Amino acid sequence: MRIRKVLVTAANPRQRTLPLQTLVDRAGEPKSALQIILEEAAGAGIEEFGVVVCPGDEPAYADACGALRSRVRFIVQDAARGYGHAVLCGRPFVGDDAFLHLVGDHLHVSHSATSCARQLLEIAKAENAPVSAVQPTRESQLTSFGTVGGRLVGGARPLYQVESVLEKPTPTLAEQHLIVPGLRAGFYLCFFGMHVLEPDIFQLLEEQQQAAPERPLGLSPALHALAARRRYLAFSVAGRRFDIGAPYGLLLAQLAISLAGRDRDRVLTQLLELVAVRPE
Amino acid sequence: MSLASSASPRLLEIIEASDPARRDSALDSWCAGKTRAELLAACDELDAYRRREGNLYRRVRALFFLAALHRYHLPARPELPREGRVPYEGFCHLLDRRFEEAIGLFQRAQQEAGPSETLSSALASAYHALAFQTLADQVRRTVRSTHGNAWMFRLGHPLDQPLRVRRELLVREHASAPFPLLRERTPVRMDLTHCGWSDIFFLGMDFPEGARVLNVSIDLGVHGRDSATRPPVEAYFRLIDEPAIRLASADLEASACLTTLDEVFDFGRDYLGLLKAAIIAAGLVPPGIERSGASLAELLASMFGPGRGFELVSNVNRIPKGSRLAVSTNLLGALIGVCMRATGQIQSLTGPMAEEERRMVAARAILGEWLGGSGGGWQDSGGLWPGIKLIEGARAEPGDPEHGVSRGRLLPRHTLLGLDRIPAEARRRLQDSLVLVHGGMAQNVGPILEMATEKYLLRKEPEWSARQRAIATLDDILALLAAGDIRGLGRALTGNFFGPLQTIIPWVSNLYTERLIERTRAAFGDDFWGFWMLGGMAGGGMGFIFAPERRAEAQAQLLETMLRTKRELESSLPFAMDPVVYDFAINEHGSVASLLHGPEALLPLAFYQHAVPGWLRREARDLSARERGDLQQFTLAARSDPTFVQALPTLLDRMLPSADGSGAPGRQLDQLLADNGFDRAQHEQIRADLRSGRIGLAMNRLPPSTRIEDVAARDLFDAASATEPLRRAGESALHRGEVAVVTYAAGVGSRWTQGAGVAKALHPFAKFDGHHRSFADVHLAKSRRTSAAAGAAIPHLFTTSYLTHAPIERHLRAQGAALDREVFLSPGKSIGLRLVPTVRDLHFAWEETAQQKLDEQKEKMRESVRAALAQWARTVGEGGDYTDNLPGQCLHPVGHWFEIPNLLKNGTLARLLAARPQLRTLLAHNIDTLGATVDPALLGWFQESGATLGWEVIPRRIEDHGGGLARVDGRLRMVEGLALPREEDEFALTYYSTNTCWIDIDRLLALFGLTRGELADAERTAAAVRTMAARVPTYITLKDVKKRWGHGQEDIFPVAQFEKLWGDMTALADCPQVFAVVPRQRGQQLKDQAQLDGWARDGSAQHIASLCAW
Repeated sequence: MRIRKVLVTAANPRQRTLPLQTLVDRAGEPKSALQIILEEAAGAGIEEFGVVVCPGDEPAYADACGALRSRVRFIVQDAARGYGHAVLCGRPFVGDDAFLHLVGDHLHVSHSATSCARQLLEIAKAENAPVSAVQPTRESQLTSFGTVGGRLVGGARPLYQVESVLEKPTPTLAEQHLIVPGLRAGFYLCFFGMHVLEPDIFQLLEEQQQAAPERPLGLSPALHALAARRRYLAFSVAGRRFDIGAPYGLLLAQLAISLAGRDRDRVLTQLLELVAVRPE
Repeated sequence: MSLASSASPRLLEIIEASDPARRDSALDSWCAGKTRAELLAACDELDAYRRREGNLYRRVRALFFLAALHRYHLPARPELPREGRVPYEGFCHLLDRRFEEAIGLFQRAQQEAGPSETLSSALASAYHALAFQTLADQVRRTVRSTHGNAWMFRLGHPLDQPLRVRRELLVREHASAPFPLLRERTPVRMDLTHCGWSDIFFLGMDFPEGARVLNVSIDLGVHGRDSATRPPVEAYFRLIDEPAIRLASADLEASACLTTLDEVFDFGRDYLGLLKAAIIAAGLVPPGIERSGASLAELLASMFGPGRGFELVSNVNRIPKGSRLAVSTNLLGALIGVCMRATGQIQSLTGPMAEEERRMVAARAILGEWLGGSGGGWQDSGGLWPGIKLIEGARAEPGDPEHGVSRGRLLPRHTLLGLDRIPAEARRRLQDSLVLVHGGMAQNVGPILEMATEKYLLRKEPEWSARQRAIATLDDILALLAAGDIRGLGRALTGNFFGPLQTIIPWVSNLYTERLIERTRAAFGDDFWGFWMLGGMAGGGMGFIFAPERRAEAQAQLLETMLRTKRELESSLPFAMDPVVYDFAINEHGSVASLLHGPEALLPLAFYQHAVPGWLRREARDLSARERGDLQQFTLAARSDPTFVQALPTLLDRMLPSADGSGAPGRQLDQLLADNGFDRAQHEQIRADLRSGRIGLAMNRLPPSTRIEDVAARDLFDAASATEPLRRAGESALHRGEVAVVTYAAGVGSRWTQGAGVAKALHPFAKFDGHHRSFADVHLAKSRRTSAAAGAAIPHLFTTSYLTHAPIERHLRAQGAALDREVFLSPGKSIGLRLVPTVRDLHFAWEETAQQKLDEQKEKMRESVRAALAQWARTVGEGGDYTDNLPGQCLHPVGHWFEIPNLLKNGTLARLLAARPQLRTLLAHNIDTLGATVDPALLGWFQESGATLGWEVIPRRIEDHGGGLARVDGRLRMVEGLALPREEDEFALTYYSTNTCWIDIDRLLALFGLTRGELADAERTAAAVRTMAARVPTYITLKDVKKRWGHGQEDIFPVAQFEKLWGDMTALADCPQVFAVVPRQRGQQLKDQAQLDGWARDGSAQHIASLCAW
């Protein structure tokens, strides 16, 4: 499996400015969230970048791409017809190859020297199968993420065979269908905002769009169908994802990046000062 | 040891056998012919086995075996000593539900003092309770760990709440408009057969193959009241702009606004416990957050947005309690369903539920029932499913939380029987023939379910084969129903009721039900096709099946028959309401939800009837936006909706004070008091003493310095050792007509019917000679037999009270008793007016006396009910007259001390002596001491003793509470339990009072300062009685009294009353007394209906039957 392309979705009309937010990266450089995402992909060996945006957002996003600007192709989603539809818009860009898919509102911090994207790509290549990155997540957060159910197949590696996928399940549903043996009670495998997929996902998305053309098209139902059709894996990446669209999400992402980088001591000192000073 | 090794393995083999034939063999058969030593050795083996065995059901079966060995088999061995002592500490452990520790102490006592019937009774009780505790714990664990339920027990902080409201519920026209209303409508369920209560969780989990139910969802209407049938259960949910939970039960006319988490978990403080349980079980306020100290507003904000909460309203279409149609479980299901839909736990916001969702709601309903301290069968939430379904136990598979623990799953499997299995024509025929009724009785089905569980595990023949037949009946019934053979169905259901069901539990039937069946059969002949017991027992919800062309006629006639029969029996059996006939239709949809907007978003009419008067009394500007909105909705509906238009006059009535100022109940009460010898001066003295604290529960006790000692066997006459000369002397006295029997029949069986206020004497509690007989019938039958044997009539007196006199007189006349010749009634001439208890006495009763601790959730419920009762006493006025009930429920008999003096006061004894001057001796006994007879040997003993009073005692068992025979400061005396200085004193007393007393008439008169001749002088007699009354102590007691309201609803209040007790005559130094120990079967009393089954099984019933002549 060769993976040269990344498809980034950033066309959610309610969050169209999120990827444009400026953060300070691990090296202490101010960068947009989009640039950090693209660099994560580039660091993993990705060569071509496609970003799905809302109509009219291209100039602002182009400015936010940093040094990778020239290698980024923008794909416009004409109307907000769902996350799955945004992915489907990337079909001409992706062509016949497997591809990395990232979401524009998630930032990732690796717990090892290997970036999260690289960890995922390596496992996908080794297994020669589509793989979604996942993170064990407390049940109280379930309503924010797509969640997979399955069983451990990787031996020592946290690699799972996916059996079902549900988008933002209630804990009631999750307990019935998504319990993964080996995880702590009350924890589920939730998406990380990072997938390696193959073009057959587009076929599934199209089928689902045709079945219910009036409904917004989700990605999770297509992934659920994928699990029923072929070997589809989930990999618990050594790292953490940060949903910058959640309340305090951007702040937490910034803190996590800084605490994992050059300015760790500086940020930590200031944090402690903040904690120590009790406002009257 | 040799005995143990030869006998016990065979008993363990029964438990462990994989071969069903061996596993299903009965303990009774194994015990037949075994000696005491063999049985005790088997007990040791079983106890060791149940301690080491990991498998739940083997453990539980061993526990039931142990309970049965100690309760039935060991006491039946003549070589087992009768007398022993129960360690008080063990008894306390028992009350605290620390069964293992109790068993340990009882076993140690058995090792030290040797086995005895007393200790066996204690061990039986502990093993029995531990068995049920083990089963209940397992169900609780399984409910908690069922997938879909467990997360709620982990959630402990509002920020962790993952549920979010469905967006559709947030859409409204403008900011001050009400939010849309989500309504869930759910049918109730009826079961065509439950295969011998196989829907009890424990049975389904151990014997899934035998757990089968045919269950039908139905809509209901009350015949003659409702124009059409409809799903009788409704639940409504909507958001409100307040950070609170508003609850309302439209049918119970109760509402509350909850602003703290503690209020949500406080189940007993109002009538909204079911709604609270639903909120918790639906995960909106998850059980894990209880006592976390978190803010309810914060929790609500996380689900509904800041400043918002929700309102939950329940409505039952006036279907009375006890309908046996699982109304409350289905209401719980509807409430949970609507809450789960609102928070996205059920995918479809409206319409029916998917199969998986129904199963989830059913699992949550089980959780809710456990939280609310109630419980039902696993088929009860059947109303969530549509139409007719077969519900069966399912084997636990790998991955199920039950796997490896029990053979079956907690939740059964539902198979919908579509038109291919039960054709439309068959359904129509069933509806055309069946008349559903509520007979009016509301009884506690709990003891029946416990009996069914125990009998299942003991596998006694013929109960076990009856269970097999009941299981097979289901297939017959299914085939008959599928074929549309309703006549055959009726026959099969009747056969099931009179056959397997009554063989397993005889107490499911009663005189009322059987009389109804008999009369219906007489009226309709071959057109009455069959009887059908709905649910756990008969008397409440029932079905009668008729030829279709006579169904309409049968509906009218059955109502009339039920009313007439109820009138005849309402003094004997506990009725909660007048009977009703239902209209019904099979519901083919199950539970269905709709989202209502604008003018359609109407709450049930009963909600407005309860709420609108309150709103109208307030200034318009003081109403909240929600209240104004609701008032506008109501006004709009009142203009257009005929049902609302018709309700307007009732609503206006509610707004105005009652126009009926006649004060009829008050006048009735005064009249009753006047008619029954109420002593107002004495009452006011007691009331003043109670209020000032001079008397009260704590003051009942003897001084702590009193020396209480046990009585040695040598101080008593042993009835078993009575000599032939004594017997002959007694027989001669009987032949000379020197004896009369006095049966105390003034009581209303507070424990027997939990305060329902029926004459206990007339309760047709068991069948003898093929017919239901009352206590009074049994006593007369014994006298009849004794008279025949003695060749002389034995007069029989019943002492009565204001509550029991008229019904007993009617009953005796109807029976053709020779009133005033052989049977006499002695009307009570002393009466008391109940008082609101003091909070001090309530706390004393709850905290200072040993109390049975309940299951964790039930204990919580009880605590909250007690807080409400203490508040009630404070609000109404401590020590005030209790008048807020039916007049008859406000009065109380003043204790059995007065029963004998009343014979003097009311002239009954004088008349009797005039007619039978040879009369010398009375035998007085309680109504429930069924074994008390004029035994010639005991009569001979008493007459020869020369004493004034002769008392009968029995060796104590653990269930014998309330005092006993003691040496008090050196003198033999009967001491009431409430008078003992310390509760533990009672456990040092070997003998328990039966309250059966032999009385020498002339010596008693002399003690009172009277002669036979002076009995004619009413004033002198009254003065003598008053003087004697002053010499015996007055006790304050708390009794439970029921207050009925609504549609079969009942509340139980503790009320204070005073009593004087006949046993205190033993404290009089100038009254010579003798005491005899008698066999248990002669002296035991039936206080609680739950005792009946053991009484029938241990041979007591058979013994009583042998004393009677019918």
